[in-house]
Amino acid sequence: MNFLHDAAGALVKMFVGDAWLSVGVLIIVSLTGLVTESGVVPPLVGGAILFLGCIVVLVVSVVRGDRRLRNRRRGSTENRTSIVP
Amino acid sequence: MISFTTAAPAVGAAFLASLVEVVEAFTIVLAAGTLRGWRAAFVGTAAGLAALAAIVVALGPLLDQVPLHFLQLVIGVLLLLFGMGWLRKAVLRAARIIPFHDENAAFAAETVDATDAATLRRSGFDWLGGVMAFKAILLEGLEVVFIVIAVGAGRDLLLPASLGALGACIVVLVVGAIVRRPLARVPENSLKFAVGAILCAFGVFWTGEGLGIAWPGADLMILFFGAAFLLVGLGAAAVVRQSVGAIAR
Repeated sequence: MNFLHDAAGALVKMFVGDAWLSVGVLIIVSLTGLVTESGVVPPLVGGAILFLGCIVVLVVSVVRGDRRLRNRRRGSTENRTSIVP
Repeated sequence: MISFTTAAPAVGAAFLASLVEVVEAFTIVLAAGTLRGWRAAFVGTAAGLAALAAIVVALGPLLDQVPLHFLQLVIGVLLLLFGMGWLRKAVLRAARIIPFHDENAAFAAETVDATDAATLRRSGFDWLGGVMAFKAILLEGLEVVFIVIAVGAGRDLLLPASLGALGACIVVLVVGAIVRRPLARVPENSLKFAVGAILCAFGVFWTGEGLGIAWPGADLMILFFGAAFLLVGLGAAAVVRQSVGAIAR
């Protein structure tokens, strides 16, 4: 059971390393499908939305990751200094 | 007959992406073999390969049953999730926000785990070593199988992509057998950076095709997407690194 749990965890981690990134990608793909299939925009414009949307999601995810990890590090440093008498 | 220009990107992408996974599997099998004995490591590796082969044989024919556009869409989205995750991590590593993956450290960690764990020797066979090798081969192997399917299934390039992955296995095995140490000198982050960009490029391309988008320049757009993702990744790493440096000062 432990092995199956590990295998399932590894498979999920393959595609959902960062939840925000995964949700962002799924939103961009859904949006592209919606506007392309409904004929609101020509398919090529849909392609541009997909490509540029993914770039934006990537950059925002990197910036978020940077801030989050830095805040976590700062928090742990403050905790350490507050323990010191 | 598949032309070289069509097959080369699939072979190259599968080779580079598989190289990263095979190096990780090799490190764990090496730790299992060194500490728990080579017999258990070899049996675990063989069992892992057999399980992988069974999964591929069982699920492989299903690929033919799925409509091409749906297959391209599903694979494209999975590739985007997988590739963008790799690229994000590679950018954060390049910006020194998260530490580099160190095969020597991974080897040491596996070594500690294997040494601390209670030894289960029944009829002379070391089960712990065998399970360690089996898990490594199966889990990392599943990622290699996914990469091969993702790179090859959309355009009937499964054979070239498989050859790329096989090439990576042979290279790691030959180099590993010669040096008999974790392959710590493989520039893993640079590889992940490049492969992440390639996987993102394939992901955007397949997802678009799956949604009925006819890309101008057809397959050449993959090169454009790959270059764009690489440039954006390098730019993001440089900007984040600069801001980290400015705060440190």
